[in-house]
Amino acid sequence: MIRPDAGAKLDGTAEYGTDLAAPGMLWGALLLAPVGPGRIRRLDLAPARRTPGVAVALGPDELRALLPTGGGDPERPLFGNGSVVYRGQPLAAVAAESLEAAQAGIAAIRLEVEEGPKARSLEEIVPEWPTDVGGIPEVTAHVRAHHGPLEARFRSAELLLEETYRTSGIAQVALEPHACLAEIRDGLWWVRTSTQTPFGVREDAAALLGLPEAQIVVEGSWVGGGFGGKGSSLLEPYALVLAAAAGRPVKLALRYREEFQLARSTLPMVIRLTTAVEGGRMTARRVRMLLDTGASLPGRDFATGYCIGFLLGPYRYDAFEVEGIAVRTAKTPFGPHRAPLAPQCAFAAESHLDSLARRIGQDPLEFRQRHAWREGDTTMFGQRVGPLGLQEGLARAAATRDRWRRDARPGVGIGVGAGFWSTSTGAGGEARLVLEPTRLRIEEGEREIGSGSVVRGLVAVAERTLGLPPERIAIDYRTTRDAPYDAGVFGSRTVGALGQAVQKAGEAMLRELARRAGAPGPARLEMDGDRVLLVAGSVRRPVEALFTDAERRAGGIPFLGKHYGGGAGLDPSRIDVGEFYPYTDFTASVHLAEVRVDPETGRPEVLRCAAFADVGRALDPEMVRGQVEGAVVMGLGEALSEETLWGDDGQLLNPNLLDYRLPTATDVPEIEVEVLEGFLGAGPFGAKGLGEPPIIPVPAAVANAIADATGARLAEMPMTPERVARALKLV
Amino acid sequence: MSDPPLRLTVNGDAVTTPADGSERLLDLLRWRLGLRGTKEGCRTGGCGACTVLVDGRPTLSCILLAREVDGCAVTTVEGIAALPEGARVRAAFAEANALQCGYCTPGFVVALTGLLREPDGPRTAAALWEDLQGNLCRCTGYLAIRRAVERLAAEGA
Repeated sequence: MIRPDAGAKLDGTAEYGTDLAAPGMLWGALLLAPVGPGRIRRLDLAPARRTPGVAVALGPDELRALLPTGGGDPERPLFGNGSVVYRGQPLAAVAAESLEAAQAGIAAIRLEVEEGPKARSLEEIVPEWPTDVGGIPEVTAHVRAHHGPLEARFRSAELLLEETYRTSGIAQVALEPHACLAEIRDGLWWVRTSTQTPFGVREDAAALLGLPEAQIVVEGSWVGGGFGGKGSSLLEPYALVLAAAAGRPVKLALRYREEFQLARSTLPMVIRLTTAVEGGRMTARRVRMLLDTGASLPGRDFATGYCIGFLLGPYRYDAFEVEGIAVRTAKTPFGPHRAPLAPQCAFAAESHLDSLARRIGQDPLEFRQRHAWREGDTTMFGQRVGPLGLQEGLARAAATRDRWRRDARPGVGIGVGAGFWSTSTGAGGEARLVLEPTRLRIEEGEREIGSGSVVRGLVAVAERTLGLPPERIAIDYRTTRDAPYDAGVFGSRTVGALGQAVQKAGEAMLRELARRAGAPGPARLEMDGDRVLLVAGSVRRPVEALFTDAERRAGGIPFLGKHYGGGAGLDPSRIDVGEFYPYTDFTASVHLAEVRVDPETGRPEVLRCAAFADVGRALDPEMVRGQVEGAVVMGLGEALSEETLWGDDGQLLNPNLLDYRLPTATDVPEIEVEVLEGFLGAGPFGAKGLGEPPIIPVPAAVANAIADATGARLAEMPMTPERVARALKLV
Repeated sequence: MSDPPLRLTVNGDAVTTPADGSERLLDLLRWRLGLRGTKEGCRTGGCGACTVLVDGRPTLSCILLAREVDGCAVTTVEGIAALPEGARVRAAFAEANALQCGYCTPGFVVALTGLLREPDGPRTAAALWEDLQGNLCRCTGYLAIRRAVERLAAEGA
């Protein structure tokens, strides 16, 4: 079927954050720190206020006077409070009659920053693996876990291979930059914004502004791409304080250069893997992960304890030890990016796996099959693996590889990559379904961000639960004031977690209607012309006939479904230090890539990709294909060209589309998508999250194809022509 | 001092508007004429989201000054369905599921409509595809868009 949002997106009427406008609105602009860490000696806003068209200019002093409590979270002052923590950090804001006037006001501000000592890079801070992590002031997170007889397996190993891999920072580059519109109305602080998490924005803005959550109202606009970059809050608190100070609506939007500098995304990692092989089998692995978290605050790191497991991969070992250290640098703070760190971890772990297989003369794909998790296995952290399409994916990949080998041109290489993901079913949410005489309405706070998880995913869950056709199910987008709570669109969770709330609400609806109709037992809804009927046993009645008078006056019956899950099953005896997070609902991805490397320039060209996606249940096959294809191409960008380049002081050196290169239409290879159904997950009807899993193995498959084609092992991604040429010793 | 007013045709309507020497066509369309279907992306000619037709040619409105289109006919996504090729492009995109977040969609629809209306007659899907490489899409991986283009080329739209 045609997705319900296609019409508005094709005729230009879909209103995104950048398109928001209100009568009498002002334009906001931010003063971003022009240098890296330092102390503010002078911040004089008077010249900005004298600039023609400027209505208000706000710095830390004005903010203290403006906010009822003088400000919010003291650890995250909106305007820095006297110091610059990272280059690009907002230090002041202006609202004016036009964007040009606002920018002129910003340019007029007199700012003097005394630069601090030169910030250290990741490998300057941790040049070698430390014995005393507590002695390093920049450490923001430290995790360690172990299980089994690691040292014994290392001693008896026939092969003990140690390799180091490096990964770069990347940027989400949603085509729509961040943008919002704020307004103070009836004592409430309203903000319309392009966000993945309306409730997350409310929570974060309340904390930053020192306001009660109930005073802030967030309404989502259409979202021009998220990919992790539009969670939590970024511009909203600034737009709100400008609107409060000016007494008029304020529009605040980033330009691309600012978007690149401010977007919180993946930062570099250094990964060292040491693996023991005995009897043709991996027996033990040690993982050392060093993660750059930019100017993040300590204790706010979600990634280290969550992502380090990806460096063991979906495989069995007798023993392991993992240790991860996250450090603070001068870069923009770290943030989530589609399957945070998982493609980078899989690049390292799957490259390493290939190296091991080749050293002992085994086929890399069969080597994976020998170790890959099966349902019922126990993970490294003691969790039980549920139904998983990993072995099936590897078997299908083997068949596809055979077919490709038969028709491959000479000189090409074929690489395999695999990975696992955990749908974030832990984060909670609620759904309100309102049954009306002629249709069903799903009241929602979160907007469709493009993947189809709301407009098709949640609708498909309601469709299957109730029996109604999709054209009779409408998504009704609400503000955070009148929508049920939901954590938001992230972690591939919309269908898997919020979908469970939709399903529960639907089931409650059928039970209640059947009870009212005096027909206990299985019930469903059906259309009779324009009317919704309840069908239960021998009963067929228009649902409206089952409404109370009050429900008839209100136009429908609301049913609330709640899903507050939570992972369980971490074995605490395996955890030594730090916070680890349980995975919930395992899903697997297996990919192949076929690559040719130009023998003179080293430029790798991806000719074909294949993706075997363990989706549990495909609720809408067209949406599934769209997610997998999109993830493969985004993953090819990460594999081959995308890289944020940072100066010592935290300046992003390539904040534009010419120097940060995205895949274009003519870069795209043929992509074969095979959907593996039946390894059912915890989501409705067995659906697993699928926005993130199919990006995970892409750089790994490309790296292994390059190695297959040339024998050269790439130790760093992205695998630019220069890096490949160096690995081939062409330069 | 002030420049003479700009006169242009936008989606078939005659428009006369004060000239502002440094204003981009994109900003004129979006903020003075209220046609915000044309999307603002990178503003440096790198993403294609702002594509409009100027006298029929696909043109990046972010790197063109408004005064440069004085006397020209501009077609934006809001006016594209009035063209038979535009209506076919929209239908093909919807049927091929060639959009996700939709932010690049107006640019693709307008650019492709312009290419299909070129006077030399219908072209192959491969030639059309080559000319669309200035339009970036971050969601779909392009393949669904390519299927829409292939369908249109096969129809000889």
